[in-house]
Amino acid sequence: MQTWDMGIPELQESTTDEKLKSELLTVNMGPQHPATHGVLRVEIKTDSEIVAEAIPHLGYLHRCMEKHSESVDFRGVLPFIDRLDYLASMSQEYTYSAAVEKMLGTEVPERAQVIRMMVLELQRIASHLMAFGTYALDLGAFSPFLYAFDEREKILRFFEEISGARLLYNYIWIGGVWNDVTDKQIDSLKNFLDEFEKEVVKYDELVSSNKIFQSRTMNVGVLSLDDALSFGATGPVLRGSGHAWDLRKTEPYLLYDKVDFDIPIAHGQKGSVVGDCFSRYIVRMEEVTESIKIVRQCFDMLKPGPIIGKVPKIIKVPKGEIYMKTECPRGELGVHLVCDGGKTPYRVKIKSPCFTNVSILPHIAPGQMIADFVASIGSIDIVLGEVDR
Amino acid sequence: MHSEVLSILEEISSAQAQILAPGEDEVGDSSILVQPESIYDVCLKLRDNEKYSFKALEVITGTDYKEYIEVSYVVGTFDMKNPATLILKTRLTDRENPVLKSVCDIWLAANYQERECFDMLGVRFEGHPDHRRILCPDDWEGFPLRKDYVVQDSYRGMTVNPPDKMNLEDQDFINQQDSMKDELIKRALAKGL
Amino acid sequence: MNNNESLTVSKYFENIYNAVKTSLIGMGITIKYVLTTKPVTIEYPEVREVLPDTARMRLYNDAVNCISCNMCATVCPVDCIYISSVPRPKDLEVPKTEDGSSKKQVLTQFVIDTALCCYCGLCTTVCPTECLTHTDDYEYSQYEVDGMKFDYTSEELISWRDRLVVQK
Repeated sequence: MQTWDMGIPELQESTTDEKLKSELLTVNMGPQHPATHGVLRVEIKTDSEIVAEAIPHLGYLHRCMEKHSESVDFRGVLPFIDRLDYLASMSQEYTYSAAVEKMLGTEVPERAQVIRMMVLELQRIASHLMAFGTYALDLGAFSPFLYAFDEREKILRFFEEISGARLLYNYIWIGGVWNDVTDKQIDSLKNFLDEFEKEVVKYDELVSSNKIFQSRTMNVGVLSLDDALSFGATGPVLRGSGHAWDLRKTEPYLLYDKVDFDIPIAHGQKGSVVGDCFSRYIVRMEEVTESIKIVRQCFDMLKPGPIIGKVPKIIKVPKGEIYMKTECPRGELGVHLVCDGGKTPYRVKIKSPCFTNVSILPHIAPGQMIADFVASIGSIDIVLGEVDR
Repeated sequence: MHSEVLSILEEISSAQAQILAPGEDEVGDSSILVQPESIYDVCLKLRDNEKYSFKALEVITGTDYKEYIEVSYVVGTFDMKNPATLILKTRLTDRENPVLKSVCDIWLAANYQERECFDMLGVRFEGHPDHRRILCPDDWEGFPLRKDYVVQDSYRGMTVNPPDKMNLEDQDFINQQDSMKDELIKRALAKGL
Repeated sequence: MNNNESLTVSKYFENIYNAVKTSLIGMGITIKYVLTTKPVTIEYPEVREVLPDTARMRLYNDAVNCISCNMCATVCPVDCIYISSVPRPKDLEVPKTEDGSSKKQVLTQFVIDTALCCYCGLCTTVCPTECLTHTDDYEYSQYEVDGMKFDYTSEELISWRDRLVVQK
């Protein structure tokens, strides 16, 4: 399609007439904004409509979680870890629990591992539906938002039956899981997945075959592969630039080496450029179909057994440190845990994927129009709870 | 993997690289320790060698032990045939003025990570293009993640921990009840407790 | 992919035709949903949803069965439970709770500040007599922040016992 090469505007001063001076206009895309997915403040310097520089200011949701974790015991850190990326809580609880279990050397029973894998993939479907709905809403479409939330509601209702809460679960404990899953819940999940698999194809077609959506997202915000690796970007941002890196295949954890699935990457589907906003969006939609495949295989692997291993009543971890990483819906989450033999951790450091993904914004912004900048923020899919901790 | 990386780093003599493995009663991952003055050359060598080319910087974290501040760089190869993750550490003994050379022109991810390390622990990075705090406000005093940190009393005219929001009366009741013991027991028994 | 070709008359009309055609595909999908699916909204407050048994809503402590062991206050990550108790005088007889443990302490204060509580559920899992439980009540907002502190040793809250505690 047709694009105009606009170039990056610079500060120009007229040399002939002292009274005619031009300068760049500073616009504040403030902390309260419907399109920034949270409290993100971006200071944009523009020349009429074209962005010259974009400077993000973070820290509006900083809750000092790392300092507070040093005064609570190991089980009490789990409610804090939930509240980092509040739209995908199960993935973060798993990373922290796996780090402590590896230090203690506890063995997790097999039924707990299968339930954990099933719950993690359902959480990935719910999180990508939320990203799809809000991205379409940012660009002006209203119906996909309601369809996505209707499907997501059924998944959240299942989570409420097994853990008690809809968004912040505290379900994946150190050593296993909290409650068991009954056969009746598995049957209703099977019915849900059979219907959902047909519907999600139609939702995707409603948005991605629309000419207006394609013009707004194709060839916008292109991130090359070398830049993506140098920024440390992970998740759909890296796979949208053409590199098939997924921790579930390269360093498998849980039982991912026993199930059969593919990793979607962007190769110019529907005429897009590799690394633009459309390719990041289409990678997320293809991941939803792969997750449905994994959940179906988990149903066959469930056997009766215990759901939690042997963990002492008061947990004391021996001295040492560990860096544990897993694949969350928005990228790779890393937990760097330093223990000194006491009842509380000595240092908990969270490497959040959204913090590293936000740092590509000042790099791809110059030369875009302000409306393209809104599309770029939405395609990275950030959650400010994880950026600011 | 650690011994191969050690042999790559032996060419840089100022680094004095050594492997830190967990001891007898310790568990966890091993790491490589280098001297703070050589961190820029070590990082350039790690990115540019043929065998283990660490193309991405994942995170820069720091821990405050009482005698020194330890800064860890976690780097990864992101290569499908040769996946590896390495923890690289340095120790800074000067707590008043810890300084390191910035690695912003080696990896673009170091920009935000070094700003956060400065904000939380007070480590200065020479040559950083935009050296200011990232998560705390720009005029905050002190470095929160140090072990001897005491929060300031007031910030721009507002008190930081106002006493009427700290639930002090409920905590005082736990200490005061020795003087009113008989009265409390009488009331509790009347309710059936 | 920068197509710097010039805009001819046929390309102009082709763009209009493509835009109208793809919009009509989208409208066909949405009109089908309008005509065939039933509405899924529940009209609150006339109709209330039935929550499952494991729902983690408001906390309730059965003070008559509490043995003042302090486990819930220790494990709470935000320190919102304030418990104090005195040893029972030796000349009185020691009563027992419903599941057999003896109450050696007299409970004098049990206050939960529900404005601080994060509804994680850790306190209910460590209670040995299971007197601290989650109910399914979520409609208890107050006009002032101080009204969110509930004293479970007061007579008013003890009288809710018949309604809220499930007999084993």
